[in-house]
Amino acid sequence: MIKLEPEILQAVEKPARYTGQEWNAVHKDHSQVDCTFALAMPDVYEVGMSNLGLKILYEVLNRREDTVAERVYAPWIDMEQKMRERSLPLFSLESFTEIGKFDFFGFSLQYEMIYSNVLNMLDLAGIPVWARERGEDAPFILGGGPCVYNTEPICDFFDLFIIGEGEEAISELAELFIRWKKEGRPGGRKGFLLRAAQVSGIYVPSLYEPRYDANGMFSGLKVLAEEAKPVIYKRVVQDMDAAVFTEKPVVPYIDIVHNRIMLELFRGCSRGCRFCQAGIAYRPVRERTEKHLRELSRRLVDSTGYNEMSLTSLSSADYSCLGGLVDDLMEDFQDEKVSFSLPSLRIDSFSIDLAHKMQQVRKSGLTFAPEAGTQRLRDVINKGVTEENLLTAVAAAYRQGWKQVKLYFMMGLPTETDEDIIGIARLAKKVVDLYQEIKGRRGVKVTVSVSCFVPKPFTPFQWFGQVPLEEFERRQRLLKENIRDRSIQFHYHDARVSVLEGAISRGDRRLGPVIYQAWKDGAKFDGWTDLFKNEIWLQAFEKCGIDLHFYNERTRSLEEPLPWEHTTPGVTREFLCREYEQALKEQLTPDCRRGKCTGCGICPNLGVKIIDWGEKDV
Amino acid sequence: MFKYRAEITKGEEIRYVSHLDYAGIIERAICRAHLPAAYSEGFNPHMKLAFASALAVGVTSDAEYMDFELTKPLCQPEVFDRLRQQLPPGVQLRRLKTFSGKHKALMAEVELARYEIEVPVLGDSAAVQPALDAFNQTPEYVYHRVTPKKTREIEIKQYIASPLQGEVQDGKLRLSLDIVITQSGSIKPGEILAILQKEFSLPVEESQALIYRRALLGSGRPLIDLV
Repeated sequence: MIKLEPEILQAVEKPARYTGQEWNAVHKDHSQVDCTFALAMPDVYEVGMSNLGLKILYEVLNRREDTVAERVYAPWIDMEQKMRERSLPLFSLESFTEIGKFDFFGFSLQYEMIYSNVLNMLDLAGIPVWARERGEDAPFILGGGPCVYNTEPICDFFDLFIIGEGEEAISELAELFIRWKKEGRPGGRKGFLLRAAQVSGIYVPSLYEPRYDANGMFSGLKVLAEEAKPVIYKRVVQDMDAAVFTEKPVVPYIDIVHNRIMLELFRGCSRGCRFCQAGIAYRPVRERTEKHLRELSRRLVDSTGYNEMSLTSLSSADYSCLGGLVDDLMEDFQDEKVSFSLPSLRIDSFSIDLAHKMQQVRKSGLTFAPEAGTQRLRDVINKGVTEENLLTAVAAAYRQGWKQVKLYFMMGLPTETDEDIIGIARLAKKVVDLYQEIKGRRGVKVTVSVSCFVPKPFTPFQWFGQVPLEEFERRQRLLKENIRDRSIQFHYHDARVSVLEGAISRGDRRLGPVIYQAWKDGAKFDGWTDLFKNEIWLQAFEKCGIDLHFYNERTRSLEEPLPWEHTTPGVTREFLCREYEQALKEQLTPDCRRGKCTGCGICPNLGVKIIDWGEKDV
Repeated sequence: MFKYRAEITKGEEIRYVSHLDYAGIIERAICRAHLPAAYSEGFNPHMKLAFASALAVGVTSDAEYMDFELTKPLCQPEVFDRLRQQLPPGVQLRRLKTFSGKHKALMAEVELARYEIEVPVLGDSAAVQPALDAFNQTPEYVYHRVTPKKTREIEIKQYIASPLQGEVQDGKLRLSLDIVITQSGSIKPGEILAILQKEFSLPVEESQALIYRRALLGSGRPLIDLV
């Protein structure tokens, strides 16, 4: 058990990040269970504590009598320094047990630029960062989360991954482990991994070996053991009402990023935006019933005491029974002053009315995501939204009293021209002018936030070469020059981060040493603007003799084998190719949620189906 | 509205929680207890919850006081039991009283905070008493409080209610100090320890100190006895 002296805690920022004891935290005697999990987010406490996936897994595992799950997050740099000075190993927040003593050490992998923190946490825990160097006593290092649709750049640091939704698979893994342990650990570490590889959705990277041709092109994956499946399909929970949901989330003592109840209405979004990985990764749409959501809400408010609830999903406004649910919830919790919010709004007046109803009084900003500045480009990306849709929605918002609008766009989308960039400025200007038209006065604030597009695996744009750094920066300047209205605030991302992300997200196993090198040279918290050190990364690529541009800027041929295709959300290559071609033809593909099947292949490949309660009512 | 005053603690488990976060902890506990809390009117209603004196990050307390209002006249034992069950580790409900009528705000009632500081003595413990004596004998001492925004000059002896008393046992100094709290300001026990260390050669390291608030008094009595 690790004890933290006051002089450590008093010397670091926000010491309550490290002291645990929160409401609903689960404390079990490790000697009374057969399997111990340390669940980690390789990011700081306030971010990690806000992750819904980890909350669910924490509850799933702790509901098992034979298993305990505890939490651990990346210590902030000041705390890391203290820990290294005093050789204090990484510890869990419940029992202050050294992480190296757990059976499993699981990481939620939310985005690529946090990989350096994974290595840093392994190192802080005293665990060899390379999987092949781990001894029999080391925990099994497990990965999960959205990054598993290309694990290759980091797979040499992990023993196994869960592909897809983890709430069922992680429990199966615990059972498998307990059985193996009780049998006397036959075959040792490798023996367990061979068994795990046979569980649906589990990927054991050491059982595969990538092949490259004479030109250094990835040519395929050799399967090294007969237990290993050639393709690992993601896990999907079919019945969301039956799935374990977090009912007793840990309530932090300090403020965190999302310090409220998260009620997950449904999973999946099949609107089919062609840049969007989540849209493919979480298919098909599966809704919870309204009845179940009301019950969950009651239990969540009772168990936490929160007076704020976010109705979360990829596109919450698409929930088929949303209007009724919101009415019912507002009535249920009227006396308790619980307020509700939607994390994202659809661009239509239904959403505005709903937002108006939900935040009766406080008119904080409204956020819309047109994603591209011209109709042509919005058609390329299959964002089924017109300028008219946006202006109608914004007009409705102005009439309801809002005077702050945030618009999200992407830059560097396939086929983008200067005309599309200037289109962003034009659209923003129209949104500003509309306020004057409706209200007869000035006083609106429009924020234009533009990120740099990163092509992602398993999207129709996975073959597309990313825009080079200099070109991103030129387009940012172009847009800046074209925004002249003082009511418009322009925010853009550091393109240097986006091009690195572009390389890593479509990388292969040869990037492992680059990530290792960058970490060795001091990379950590790369997703944090003030801690990101671009030079370290560029030098790491150079030191390892790896060409960054081969990974981010190169347009792949449609025939080329892709290094990530074996851990799949179940979408077919044919569908993605078809969508790529439709994109170039500026043709739209409709949502399959209530319309006809668009043939992505996920439902038949995984044996699941869409669950949409709206259909049933009609 | 029906008013209640509670005496609660801030324990070791939540030593490093700020005053604002501490208030949030209590608010959520009241919600979980399903007490019919009264809220302020207006666009952004918040629970009617008032504390006596903010407690710094890193300081525990045996006796914090808060006033809150309910919309229904629940009897004292019921409120006590329901709230107590929902308090997290680190917060204990020690006493609870109902009161009515106009009453001075808690913040206006508090006059004195009693603290105890526990800190390892580095080096010669014979140097402790002379340091405390020197401090006690100084008629006034101007401290420069540096915040990110500005530096303020504060004469601190006006806030020291009685001479500091220290006792060394097993290499640890236990220092008792009574600090005057006024509407216009006060001084933190940590600040006094830092001054003792830097200006009066007290052989300790401020960062190793544990600070406990032992009492909050108004008219010489615990604040809960004022209602």
